[in-house]
Amino acid sequence: MKFAPLIFKHLRKNWIRTLSTVLALSVCILLFCTLQTVVEAVNFGLHAGNASRLVTRHYVSLVFNLPLNYKQRIEAIPGVKETVMNWWFGGIYRDPKNFFANMATEPQAFLDLYPEIMLPPDQKEKWLHDRRGAIIGRKLAQRFGWKVGDTFELESSIPPYRVGHPFDFVVDGIYDTDEAKYPATDLNSMYFDYKYLYEATGRNLGIGWLTEKIDDPQHAGAISRTIDGEFENSDTPTKTETEQAFMAGFIAMAGNLTLLLNGIGLAVAFTILLVTANTMSIAVRERQQEIGVLKTLGFSSGLILALILSEALIIGVVGGVIGILITVGILKILPQLPMIGDILNGYPNFGLSPQTTATGVGIALLLGLAAGFFPAITGYRARITETLRQV
Amino acid sequence: MSTTNTATTTAVSVQNVRKFYQRDQIQIKVLDGINLEVPQGEFVALMGPSGSGKTTLLNLIAGIDRVTSGRVVVAGTDLGPLSEGELAKWRSRNIGFIFQFYNLIPVLNAVENVELPLLLTSLSGRERRDRAMTALRIVGLEDRAKHYPRQLSGGQEQRVAIARAVVTDPTVLVADEPTGDLDHQSAEEILTLMETFNQEFHKTILMVTHDPRAATRAHIQHHLDKGVLSD
Repeated sequence: MKFAPLIFKHLRKNWIRTLSTVLALSVCILLFCTLQTVVEAVNFGLHAGNASRLVTRHYVSLVFNLPLNYKQRIEAIPGVKETVMNWWFGGIYRDPKNFFANMATEPQAFLDLYPEIMLPPDQKEKWLHDRRGAIIGRKLAQRFGWKVGDTFELESSIPPYRVGHPFDFVVDGIYDTDEAKYPATDLNSMYFDYKYLYEATGRNLGIGWLTEKIDDPQHAGAISRTIDGEFENSDTPTKTETEQAFMAGFIAMAGNLTLLLNGIGLAVAFTILLVTANTMSIAVRERQQEIGVLKTLGFSSGLILALILSEALIIGVVGGVIGILITVGILKILPQLPMIGDILNGYPNFGLSPQTTATGVGIALLLGLAAGFFPAITGYRARITETLRQV
Repeated sequence: MSTTNTATTTAVSVQNVRKFYQRDQIQIKVLDGINLEVPQGEFVALMGPSGSGKTTLLNLIAGIDRVTSGRVVVAGTDLGPLSEGELAKWRSRNIGFIFQFYNLIPVLNAVENVELPLLLTSLSGRERRDRAMTALRIVGLEDRAKHYPRQLSGGQEQRVAIARAVVTDPTVLVADEPTGDLDHQSAEEILTLMETFNQEFHKTILMVTHDPRAATRAHIQHHLDKGVLSD
C-alpha cells in the first residue's frame, strides 16, 4: 500500500492517456458483456424444452399445417399419453413493434401438458369456459399494464387468419411459473382457445403443430420415428423431434450467432489489448530514466515489475468496473427500445448474469495484465547504467 | 549477503579493478587496474577528462555496475558475489546517490521524492514523513516540501536530491557531477552542503567532477585518465 501514491500519481500524470485507455477497456468489456448476455439469452431458450414432450410439425416447414385427424392417429401410437394442438397466430397488437408470441391452443390439454404454466384456479376455470378468453404471462401483463378482465384486440399477420377484422380477447388469467423449477418459462406469451380461431376462419383450419406427452423420455427417439413413419408416404409427411430440438430449430441460427458474437468479442478484446499494451509501453518507455533512478535507490527489479503491473491492473480493474456498470445501464435500456426491445423481451432471462459479470471483470484484469506484461518485463530488465546514460 | 572485514577505517576499497565494455566485436577498456582506498569520513574528488572512466568507477563503487575483474569492497561488503537483488538491498542501506541532473521523480513533490528510499524500509508512514521533513530541513527546503520539481530551481532540485540521498543515513555518498548543471552560486551552496554532511555527519563522499573549484572542496583529489588512476 505504501507504493500506492507512486502508482496513482503516475496514472494521474497523463490523465488523458490513462482515461482513454480505461475507456477503451470499458468499451471492450461493455461489448463482451452485452454480446455474451445475448448469447446466454439465446442459449437459455434451448433449455426450456421438456424431455418428455415431443413436437410434430409438417416435414417441410411450420408454415404448412397438418390435417386435423393427425391428432387422433398420433394419440393412438403406443407411448403417446396426450397431445395438444397449437397454432402460431401471429397477432399484432396495435403496432408491429408491440410484438409478442401469441398462440391458439386447446386450453385443458395445454394446461395438462405444461405444468410450468401456473394459473390461479378461478382464472383457470374461467379460461376453460370462455371462447374469447386468453391467458397472458406475468411479464406481458406488466409490459402493457393488462389486468384480469381487460380486453384487447389482435390482428393476425398470417393470411389464412385474417378475417377482415381484429380478434378481440379478454384477459381471463395471468400465468406465472415456479422460476426455481422452470427457469426458462416464457412469461411474455399469450394463449387462447383454438375454437375461437377455428370458428372465425370458417372451420377451415389444419394443425399448426402438435405437442405430445410421452410416457418415458428414454423412448423419445423410437416414438418420434414411429410417428413420422405413420405419415411417411402420405401427402403430409411429418417431422417429430424433442421440444428442445424444436426450439433449437426455431433459433437455428443460435449456433452461428454464438460463434459470430464470440468472434466479434474476441476481435474487439484483441484490438483493445494491442492499444492498451502500446499505451503502457509508451508510458513505461517515457520513464526509463526514472526506472534507473528507482533501481539506483535500491528498488529491486521485481518491485519495478510489480509497480508497472499494478498500474496496468488498476487500469484493467477500473476499465472492467466501468464497463460492467455501463453494461448494466445499457441492458436496462435495450429492452425498452423499439424493435430491439421487442426481440429481447422474447427472452425470459435477458439480463447480466453473475457469470458474465465475473468473466467480464476477469477479462479486464487479464487484458490489463497482458498489456502491462511486456512493459513490466522491460522495466524489470532495464540496466541502471544504460537507463541513466539516456539522460 | 557476504561481508568481508576490511579495516574499519576504510569505507571504500577498490582493488585492481578492470572494466571492459563489449561493443559489437570491439572490447573497450574503460578502467585498467584501478586501486583506491577511501578512509571512512573522507571527501574525495575524482577528476579527469570525459571518457576517462570517472562515472564508471563511481558506478562500480555504488554497486550499480559490475567489475570485469578485481574487487570492490564498500562499507565492509564485497560487492562481487552479491546477486542483483542483494545489491539493490545493499544500495538502499549503504549508498546515497547524487546525480548531475538531480533525477527527481516529476510526479512526486519534494517531500515525496525524499521519502522514496524510505519506502524500502519498514518505517511507518508517519516515521517516513518525519524523516523526510528532517532531511529537507537540513538542506534548507522545509518550506518547499509540497513543491513539485518543476516548481523548483536547479539548485533547489539538487538540494532535494541530496536530502533524498541522505535520508536513509547511508555510509557513502556518491555524487556524479553534482554541480555540473548549476550556476556558480547554486554550485557553491551544494558544495557547502556536501561539506556539511562530510564534516558534521561524517559521511564518506566520493564526488566526480570536471570543475577544479569544486574539487578543491574535497580533502583528497584523484585523477583518472584513460582508465588509469593517478593522484
